[in-house]
Amino acid sequence: MAETLPIHHSIRVRADLSDLSLDVTLELRSPWTVLFGPSGSGKSSLLRALGGLMPKAAVRFQRGTTELSALPPQRRALSYAPQSPSLFPHMSVMQNVRFSMEAHGNPPRKSTLADDAASIFRLHALRDRRPQELSGGEQKRVSLARAYAQPGAALLLLDEPFAGFDRGLRNELLPELLSGLSKRQLPVLSVTHDVDEAVLLNADVVRIESGKVIAQGPALEVLALEREQMLTSLGQPGA
Amino acid sequence: MDFTALSLTIRLAAQSTLLLLLLTMPLAAWLAAGTGITRRVVQAAVALPMVLPPTVLGFYLLTGLGPATAFGRAIIVLLGHPLAFTFPGIVFGSMLYSLPFAVQPLTAAFDAVPHALTDTARVLGASPFTVFRRVTLPLAKSGILTAAVLTFAHTVGEFGVVLMLGGDIPGKTQTLSVSIYDKVQEGNYAAANTMSLWLLAASFLALLAVYLRSDVLRRRPKLG
Repeated sequence: MAETLPIHHSIRVRADLSDLSLDVTLELRSPWTVLFGPSGSGKSSLLRALGGLMPKAAVRFQRGTTELSALPPQRRALSYAPQSPSLFPHMSVMQNVRFSMEAHGNPPRKSTLADDAASIFRLHALRDRRPQELSGGEQKRVSLARAYAQPGAALLLLDEPFAGFDRGLRNELLPELLSGLSKRQLPVLSVTHDVDEAVLLNADVVRIESGKVIAQGPALEVLALEREQMLTSLGQPGA
Repeated sequence: MDFTALSLTIRLAAQSTLLLLLLTMPLAAWLAAGTGITRRVVQAAVALPMVLPPTVLGFYLLTGLGPATAFGRAIIVLLGHPLAFTFPGIVFGSMLYSLPFAVQPLTAAFDAVPHALTDTARVLGASPFTVFRRVTLPLAKSGILTAAVLTFAHTVGEFGVVLMLGGDIPGKTQTLSVSIYDKVQEGNYAAANTMSLWLLAASFLALLAVYLRSDVLRRRPKLG
């Protein structure tokens, strides 16, 4: 990785969930880190634990020299887009996107962050719509824009950010998203099942199985086998 | 029609409803926020006025608010007079009497707000109070309205507590229901009948409004 993170994130999460015991230690060392693994391996639970949404999990989460585990969710300087879009149904698209800024007491019109987010995720035509009037993919984009527009975030937690996304649209907006993140020096920890996506993001991949980390490294190395299988199956249609 | 009793009844119901909603909202939010024995004990205590004879409630209030208890003496010192046989006294009694009719719909309404929304709002940087104000409260709006209508209607319909705690003082503590009772005692069936009909119609309309509204809500598309 050419780029290094401005702030060092060190994460340790232990939690006994009903169907899985989670024990994960990892360092975030790249602008985009991907948690990769089969469903039920604990990826989403890890994000929720970091967000402070699993009171029973033992979390050690350190950013620089600050220990975050004891802080309530709103003071961890995180932002979060869960797997289901979870938009606020009584607010318009832009009110959703501005939610975080207003929660921080920023006057909604003063900052351009929400407009940047709306532009990156192509929301301008949808500004005044209600979530119920949007397709699943559109809702997902609003959810990502809302997470992006958290002014105090020092780390973005994105759960399957591009699931249900049109690939063409994803590839089109990804460069703008990455450049916006890099300008804000805002790293991402995301969850995916998609090998192609991890490679495209040039991500540092953390491979998780049954609640444990089994490998961490550049996407092309850690996911070499999957990538080869994928390319083979693409090369031999119907094989 | 006994208009003095009517206006007193409306004032009583309006004040009790407003105060009760404001005071029980934090309680309902807490009840909806989790599980466990403490919450269920409180919930059972809150529901008690639904099954207790109003005379029992009125009796305890009458004795509890009187000079025989420390609480009663404190009130007498604070107000300069006892709460019993006064309008504020029957407001207090009505609030206890209608407590479950406010708390139960409020708890159900707060409970129905998806945790995914409130959780996400927290990580996005909102304090618990901001989440309550910006997310929970607007989404629980119709439940709050139901609680208000039920509390109001139930307070209009109370009899035992008002009679025990308020006595039967025209213009001060005599509500419509008590006035009807008096008219019957006097043998004035025509007056009792007029007032009873009005109460019946108003109560029916209030309940009809609540149920019609729940019909409208059911037809609305589900939240995503």
